[in-house]
Amino acid sequence: MNIENTKAQMKKGVLEFCILSVLSSGDQYPSEIIEKLKDAKLIVVEGTLYPLLMRLKNDGLLSYRWEESLSGPPRKYYKLTPVGKQYLKELKTSWNELVDAVNKIIDKSN
Amino acid sequence: MNRTITMNLNGIIFHIEEDAYDKLNKYLSTIKGYFKDSEGRDEIMSDIEARIAEMLSEKVSSTKQAVLLSDVESVIAVMGKPEDFADDSERKESTENTNSSSDENRTSYPNNKRRRVFRDTDDKILGGVCAGIANYFDFDPLWLRAAFAISFFAFGSGFLLYIILWIIIPAAKTTAEKLEMRGEKVDINNIGKAVNEEFEDFKKKMKDFGHEVNSKENKEKLKTTAQKATEFIGDVFHNIIHVFGKIVAFFLLFIGIVLMVALLATIFGSGTISVFNTSTSTIHYSLYEFCSTVLPGSLPMSLVVIGIILFIGIPLSAMIYSGIRHLFGIKQKNRIVKYFFNTLWLVGLCLMIYIGIKIGNDFSEEATVRERIEITQPTTSTLTLDLKALPEDDIDATYYHHRKHKIDLGDWAVISKDENSFRLGYPSMSIQPSETDSFQLIAVKKSNGRNKKEATGYAKNIDYTITQKDSVFTFNNYFEIKSNDKLRAQDLKLILKVPVDKIIFLSKRMEKIIYNIENISNTLDDDMVNRRWKMTKQGLECIDCDGLDNLHKHKTGTY
Repeated sequence: MNIENTKAQMKKGVLEFCILSVLSSGDQYPSEIIEKLKDAKLIVVEGTLYPLLMRLKNDGLLSYRWEESLSGPPRKYYKLTPVGKQYLKELKTSWNELVDAVNKIIDKSN
Repeated sequence: MNRTITMNLNGIIFHIEEDAYDKLNKYLSTIKGYFKDSEGRDEIMSDIEARIAEMLSEKVSSTKQAVLLSDVESVIAVMGKPEDFADDSERKESTENTNSSSDENRTSYPNNKRRRVFRDTDDKILGGVCAGIANYFDFDPLWLRAAFAISFFAFGSGFLLYIILWIIIPAAKTTAEKLEMRGEKVDINNIGKAVNEEFEDFKKKMKDFGHEVNSKENKEKLKTTAQKATEFIGDVFHNIIHVFGKIVAFFLLFIGIVLMVALLATIFGSGTISVFNTSTSTIHYSLYEFCSTVLPGSLPMSLVVIGIILFIGIPLSAMIYSGIRHLFGIKQKNRIVKYFFNTLWLVGLCLMIYIGIKIGNDFSEEATVRERIEITQPTTSTLTLDLKALPEDDIDATYYHHRKHKIDLGDWAVISKDENSFRLGYPSMSIQPSETDSFQLIAVKKSNGRNKKEATGYAKNIDYTITQKDSVFTFNNYFEIKSNDKLRAQDLKLILKVPVDKIIFLSKRMEKIIYNIENISNTLDDDMVNRRWKMTKQGLECIDCDGLDNLHKHKTGTY
């Protein structure tokens, strides 16, 4: 059993949830999302984000629009769709439940 | 000093050192290779390139204008190696390590978990075909194995089918494929669920589509909206075609197998297949008898067998093959094999055309031979015409008991008795007035052949006998064709010439051979039997037709 692998798997599971949460505060382009996730130490390498964004978009949870930027080429701003908002709401509930449940287990075993 | 290259990354121009460019180029193509199977590859790539461009632009300034190898390396370190970030569910796993994650993705992404058919090589007797199919439909492979084992004896049709399945169904090699093999059950509920999902998806797309149309902001967006619209109409059609495709595939497979068994039975089986005939009961037919009676002597029977296998067997195999492929969603197409079989089919077609021309050629000439059948003049004025009753030892009676030994080709029949086959034909008889004052019986023998000489020979070989007992003529039911002669449309017409004032009586049995006998009262053949007819100068006149209903008479002018 590789500890790094397990940690990575754990992070991976909540990554989608985190991306949706980050976008719930407003439309953002990938570099901004990456910044926030990096600050929270959720991702180590940035490449992880792009396939995930693509999948969330293909699943209809996200949409994007192009916006001119002052400092360079146009940027892709990602945004939650109504389905994505609903999805996020459900994930939040189950996340809270999961945290409670896990904490309970940890408390008991201590 | 180093050489630099000018590079355009996401619309930004960079001056990049050669070694740095090589490194970056290699990195990007590795990523590209990693997302080979994902549908959104181009989009992911352009996102990644945009991000890299952004990072690189932070590394250059007016004092440091070129991108160095170290810059590229640090960017790659930030982005990560493709194997670190590629999305698991987008790839096909093959290692033990990633098994569990593929299983998780399976449950969270319903599109990926539909079951597919594979050969189950872990549970195989021969190729794992039965086990694989049993997995797909969730039953014990034992029954399928038993069915196949039995069908091996049905002229090897089961064997052939098994080989076909073995070739076209891929083996479950990787763990992912093994999981897919046992994926979600395919049943009515699931099909309903899948349809529902598609429908929800459809509704959602509809909604999104509507939103986007309402908020038309710029041209680019309109373009994507138009693309979405076509994409989504395409989806709808795709789904409809998909469902129909499965149904059609099932019928293709079913009919293909049935016909294949019939074909193999015809070729290799001693039995005959029955084809429904419109008029009488059935035509019984076997390939061997076809060859021995119709095929020109210069052509070997094996040529016909090969022709039939290629000409009919290949399309049937293709039917079964495509049926299975569409039914189980197997994506595998071998072009070389396809061309090979197409060519073979063309060879078969040419062979069949050649055989057809050869047979047709044997019918090209017609010859007629007129012969007088010797009779002695009856002593009484009334001549009785009778047809031979069929006693037990007659070939025809045997035929009635062994119906399957006979083939019926229109006007001819082939009857097998005691390993001898008899080629028989049905004669027809007409009555004409005699120019002299004696009875005459003329046989008009006709046949086709490759040339006049052969046709005449076949015609002369037509053998017909009648027996005479003073004033009773007993006709035979059939004429016989010499046992080595081929069937070449041999035909026999009998003409009985009756002198004026003589009377003939037609027995009931005669209705089998008399054909359109002209008479004064225009009475139909069926009504002419069991009556006496007198030859007058005008033609045949009925002597005891008083009770005959007018309805049974010909209406003048109908022919």
